[in-house]
Amino acid sequence: MDKGVEEPLDLIRLSLDERVTVKMRGNRVLSGQLHAYDQHLNMVLSDVVETITTSEIDEESYEEIIKTTERKMPMLYVRGDGVILVAPPMR
Amino acid sequence: MSLPPTATASLVEEVDKCLICVLRDGRKLIGYLRTVDQFANLVFQDAVERIYVDDYYGDIQQGIVIVRGENVVLLGELDAESAQNSKLTRVSAADILQRKQVQLEERKKSEQEERQRRLTMQREQPDIVDDF
Amino acid sequence: MILLSILFHTNKSSTIKMLFTSFFKTLVGKTVVVELKNDLSIQGTLTSVDQFLNIKLDDITVGNVDKYAHMVSVKNCFIRGSVIRYIQLPPEHVDTQLLQDATRREAGEKSA
Repeated sequence: MDKGVEEPLDLIRLSLDERVTVKMRGNRVLSGQLHAYDQHLNMVLSDVVETITTSEIDEESYEEIIKTTERKMPMLYVRGDGVILVAPPMR
Repeated sequence: MSLPPTATASLVEEVDKCLICVLRDGRKLIGYLRTVDQFANLVFQDAVERIYVDDYYGDIQQGIVIVRGENVVLLGELDAESAQNSKLTRVSAADILQRKQVQLEERKKSEQEERQRRLTMQREQPDIVDDF
Repeated sequence: MILLSILFHTNKSSTIKMLFTSFFKTLVGKTVVVELKNDLSIQGTLTSVDQFLNIKLDDITVGNVDKYAHMVSVKNCFIRGSVIRYIQLPPEHVDTQLLQDATRREAGEKSA
């Protein structure tokens, strides 16, 4: 059953129980341990850190200010339709 | 173990209740839910669109409405007791539409200012060019 | 635990994939926080789930009440699955080993 990588989702199967990076719509990036996924890329992650990046233009200096906010969530279900990419752990 | 025959099984129990329906564009409908299907398409009777502006709200009569399921965000049961304790003030339909118009124009103005700021920034940094 | 194994075992023999529906059914009665794509966050007790992952919550509270004044008089609600971004789950009620096994089983079924 444990074949190699024949189709894209096989790569995600090999990432089960590992920390993955998930890029989401709305300038959000998640990092967490992968416990479940399905063909829609619905997922369950644990020990999640979410980073949201926003940009604002300063009233006076007209400079672009990039802000990042971080949130931690112990256990998270992620709906697949918001997922842009899933990156397996570095080896 | 199979699921009940109706897909949105849990919605059937809500039929004939007075519900608030939040739509994807942010609008809120209130009415008696009369029927549902597996896509969460909905039919409301005696429906009103309730508009909120700051601490005011008002109702626009709509009669019978059909809502396409994909536009439904949520359906909630209204609790009469906590509605009474609300700090919101009810105003007439004409009044709330007027307030909404003012709010819309203010928003448009601030969005335009933001766009102008971004344009100015791009002009001041002409060295940043798209590589593609 | 018996309930869990029944749910996940049935999943194995059926061709319909319902990993997450089955999983959420094990969390009925627990408190979750549903975050919607319109940034509304709703905390409540999970009361039901269907195959589209539409969910029903009871005893709800909403973050940022000022912005969502229409939600204060709502005590329970139905949320369409397609508008959900995240659901924060109670970690003590999630068996991650069981989830991984069920995921491998469902992934294996497809390619078999």
